[in-house]
Amino acid sequence: MIAYLTNLAALAAIFGILAATLNVAVGYAGIFSVAHAVFFGLGAYAGAQIALVLVPDALVAMLVAGLVSGVLSLCLALPALRVRGEYFVAASLGLQMMATTLFSEWKTVTGGIGGLTGIPRPHIFGVEVGTLPLALAALGLILLATAALMRGAFGRTLRSIRDAESAAEALGKNVAAAKALAVAFACAGAGVAGALFALHMQFVNVESFNLDQSVLIMAMVIIGGTGTLLGPLVGAVILLSLPAGLAFLPFIPATEVGAVQQMVYGLAMTLLMIFRPAGLVGDLSRGKSTA
Amino acid sequence: MLFIQLLLQGLQVGAIYALTAAGFALIFGATRVFHFAHGSSFALAGYVFIFAMQAGWPWWLGGLAATLAATLFGIGVFWFVYRPIQRHEGSFFTVFVAAFGVGIVVQNLIGIFAGRGFASVDTSLSRAVEVLPDVFLAQVFWVAISVACLLFAALTLFLTRHNAGVALRALHQNPDLLRAYGLSSTRLSLLAFALGSALAAPAAMVTAMTSGMNEAIGHQVMLISMAATIVGGVGSLRGAALAGLMLGVAESVALNFVDTQWAEAVSFLVLFAFIIFRPSGIFGIAQAR
Amino acid sequence: MSAPILVCEGLSRSFGGVKAVAGVSLALPAGQVTALVGPNGAGKTTVFNLITGNLRADAGSAMLRGRSIMGLAPHKVARMGVARSFQDLRLFTHMSVRDNIRTATETSAWFWQPGGATARRAREAATEEALARTGLLELAEARAIDLAYAERKFLSMARILAARAEIWLLDEPASGLDLASRLRFGALLKEARRQGVAICLIEHNLDVVTELADRIAFLDQGQVLAEGEPEAILKDPKLAAIYFGDRGEAA
Repeated sequence: MIAYLTNLAALAAIFGILAATLNVAVGYAGIFSVAHAVFFGLGAYAGAQIALVLVPDALVAMLVAGLVSGVLSLCLALPALRVRGEYFVAASLGLQMMATTLFSEWKTVTGGIGGLTGIPRPHIFGVEVGTLPLALAALGLILLATAALMRGAFGRTLRSIRDAESAAEALGKNVAAAKALAVAFACAGAGVAGALFALHMQFVNVESFNLDQSVLIMAMVIIGGTGTLLGPLVGAVILLSLPAGLAFLPFIPATEVGAVQQMVYGLAMTLLMIFRPAGLVGDLSRGKSTA
Repeated sequence: MLFIQLLLQGLQVGAIYALTAAGFALIFGATRVFHFAHGSSFALAGYVFIFAMQAGWPWWLGGLAATLAATLFGIGVFWFVYRPIQRHEGSFFTVFVAAFGVGIVVQNLIGIFAGRGFASVDTSLSRAVEVLPDVFLAQVFWVAISVACLLFAALTLFLTRHNAGVALRALHQNPDLLRAYGLSSTRLSLLAFALGSALAAPAAMVTAMTSGMNEAIGHQVMLISMAATIVGGVGSLRGAALAGLMLGVAESVALNFVDTQWAEAVSFLVLFAFIIFRPSGIFGIAQAR
Repeated sequence: MSAPILVCEGLSRSFGGVKAVAGVSLALPAGQVTALVGPNGAGKTTVFNLITGNLRADAGSAMLRGRSIMGLAPHKVARMGVARSFQDLRLFTHMSVRDNIRTATETSAWFWQPGGATARRAREAATEEALARTGLLELAEARAIDLAYAERKFLSMARILAARAEIWLLDEPASGLDLASRLRFGALLKEARRQGVAICLIEHNLDVVTELADRIAFLDQGQVLAEGEPEAILKDPKLAAIYFGDRGEAA
């Protein structure tokens, strides 16, 4: 039981990082990406390879993973951010589909469908550490950094772009640069989460980085509440406990739990948007836009 | 000869893409709703058709049922999801998330009730015969091409001759009219959703008869429709249809050079190329922001 | 009269064969209010968009203190000292009034602003001054979306004030204002004029134009038909006919 709860807590922290960082893009900057799992995956593969080939040091793995995801996201976002919001969604969706193919085909790096196995336990300076404290520490640091940035000038810039891009531009803000930075920050965070995930599971394969996963992370942000610090965390905890909760309901066959879970959050997303666009946490009028 | 075979196959797939993309572009142009659940209309129509055929219904009745399912679904989503959101001035983001949620629900409902994996209709139409040395063609090819041509001709007539069609086109070119003619906009939106969704039905039927459906096909159809709308140019029906056709051909011809799993990626490469080099699309006009 | 800060010559732009702006020349001197007047669709907002870089001009030039600003991105033009307002305001709806103004003083897109504590104090001072001058101090913590109409217009002006620009391009800043608010707006504009800001405003209300403008440029079908003192322009019967929709082709 303790092992079960520790596992769930570590996963909650990892998905907390994913949701919190995606929220920087979606909730603050108004950049709608359904490719967050791609950068989660890039980080996971990078971290796993570092641990397998080089050194099982968690800090090195997380750093490299964050860098790989952050830099690659910057290369992809710079051209893609030039299009209107609607089309960015399309581009990110396309990226997600291509990345899934790439992850399952590039066998030398990702191990293909079979994935990478036997990833060593994480160490820090040669001492073995548990993944739960590591994940909690990373989550804490990322939340602190997010809070500091979003309360300051950068957060105001992102929110101004979200509310009225052309007005932000007319006030001298380099919209493309600010958006690209927000994306890089969010994706670097996803990379760190990926490295943690690989070290925690000791196994990664493409299943964890497909469109369904991106949608799950998106649902966490939206159900919890966009543009708030704690909303995405709440969303992550709720959606991660959902399968366990559904398993207690006797009338759902075990094979359909996954489908029912997806339906629950699909329905929750639709109903929330109709009746409470701000999500569970967050003020009521967010999501209405007059710009 | 392989090339000709792939080209013909591409035309068939392209006709399907063109129909769904045109439906999506029609809805987007007239209502400014990024109808992300368009793929669900397609999937529903396909499965209704499959069930009808399995139940032994005549093909025209199955087709009618499929078209009805797609149309009703489109109208329903507009009425119960988009309209309430638009009433409280929901942003693009809000509409998108709601539609995405609908898509997820439909996909899983289909998964639960119709089973996961491929399902298709086997008819005499889908049996291939050799038309040229080493080139095989099923009759369904001619069905797909002629249905697409007929529908586009009818759509063009409607949009240029009929009053309601002209009004829809006017909304395309100047979205502000939607606000100026506030009163009739709901009815025009309903019309756009009905027409746009109905266009997905024949495409879904042809798909059910050829490559088959699966529960996740909605996502893929959605992606292609969006890609075609962007490549074709914002607000251009003709562009979306042409781009849909092009993407279908490109995907198919790519099989000549790469493995199957990469062929799908070709559409997205084309999409990215357009986003980078010509964001306004083939027929798009650069807009002031 | 001082030398103009902004000089535009022969600005042109057409959309699909229709000439929206056809060779507009305009000079904006410091401490002067120029009103762009003309019927709907005359190309007034398009002129603004051409100056600010939101639209690319087909031909013509725009020089700011002798430096060309043609072809520059909107944010670069803004950083050179050109501020603008929008007819539909485009406030940052879900931010507080104070944050709306504060963000106007923060132009760096980087994670932090340059200049350290001194610059930060200057930005804060500019924010508070803009709040005070527009009468929004008491509403500083309210969100923009919750403001009344007139207050929204003043918030849009406050953003421009805080941006410390030397050129203001205002798109119908006084439309829909009640008399008291209009007077308050007039006072705001006159003070800016005294401080040497070059102001150009698009305005339909001829009373406002008469009261505030030093010069009028009369636009019709993308061209400046006449330019000069308000008195002279407004008395011209030919221009009045165009303005009020009668093109002299009466049957």
